[in-house]
Amino acid sequence: MKPISQIACALVALLPTFAVAQGSAPNITVAPVPTIVVTRGGHAQLTLEMRVNRGFHVNSNHPYDELLMPTTLRLNAPDGIMIANVKYPEGQDLVLPFMNNQKLNVYSGAFVVTADVRPARTVAYGTERVHGAVKFQACDDRQCFPPRTVPFEFDVKVARPVVHKAPKKNADSPHIHP
Amino acid sequence: MVGLKRNVVVFGVMVVVLAGLLSMAVYRRHMPHTGEVAAKGKPAPEFTLTDLAGHPVALSSLRGKVVVLNFWATWCPPCKQEIPWFVEMQKRYGAQGLQVVGINMDDAGDLKDVARFAAENGVNYPILIGQEAVAQQYGGIDSLPTTFYLDRKGGVVERFIGQPNGQDEVEKSIRLALGL
Repeated sequence: MKPISQIACALVALLPTFAVAQGSAPNITVAPVPTIVVTRGGHAQLTLEMRVNRGFHVNSNHPYDELLMPTTLRLNAPDGIMIANVKYPEGQDLVLPFMNNQKLNVYSGAFVVTADVRPARTVAYGTERVHGAVKFQACDDRQCFPPRTVPFEFDVKVARPVVHKAPKKNADSPHIHP
Repeated sequence: MVGLKRNVVVFGVMVVVLAGLLSMAVYRRHMPHTGEVAAKGKPAPEFTLTDLAGHPVALSSLRGKVVVLNFWATWCPPCKQEIPWFVEMQKRYGAQGLQVVGINMDDAGDLKDVARFAAENGVNYPILIGQEAVAQQYGGIDSLPTTFYLDRKGGVVERFIGQPNGQDEVEKSIRLALGL
């Protein structure tokens, strides 16, 4: 690559930084969740891959200051499907300039929240849609933005259990010995 | 030779574009958008809000003073960082006609936290309970802290979005508004 092209590429790479500086809004995107297939009485793991857009951070689920708003999930599961044991990741400690060494505990970039999906033994077979939302309050290094809620959804398919048929016993089988 | 000239032109255009974007970013940080209600050099929109004790406070009642309107919330760390600076400025310049006014943008249910925070931090100026309508009058407060510096006639001298670099920067803006 010619030097001039390298410089041009470097400048283009800096464009997102300028976009942030000009006041783009903070956001969390939730990656599409593949259909979760689970049997009655069984359980499967829900994995939510989230990303805070560049230049911003959000409070972790356990911010150090009780007045700060934690990032939380709300999940509205249909009757017969329980979503429990939501696990938020550990946040990263962050000390911003001019903050007198006050530590914040935040998520920035990508982070993953997991939960258990457990259909009841009596739930009907089929696919149900689960609606959820992530509530967060974002800041950059100088300013904070009002709390926001971003909705997401995913499907849970309650499948019939796969029955593995046992091989038939054959009296004539040479492998069966009295 | 032609290729070299083309590269130089492309490079030049990109530098100009990026310089423009950077200038806009710096400009937006300090200046209101064109057409906003509370713009530099224009009169600050009138409002009446209640303080934490439930008493109404009208902006017009502060006419003749240099007023600092500081929009903030307890969920905003940079806001809480600069509040002691405003407390200090109120002590230092109150006798010369400075009146700091905090406009709190927490949810209505969090007012106990607001009062507790104000007490714990020795806030020596009124905290008013913000309303979205007032925020809209002031151009829509998209982020906190946002601070307006008003002169003695109630005109907007400066709008500052975000946390300043330090108390010195706040003091500079206040001294400018006071005409010192």
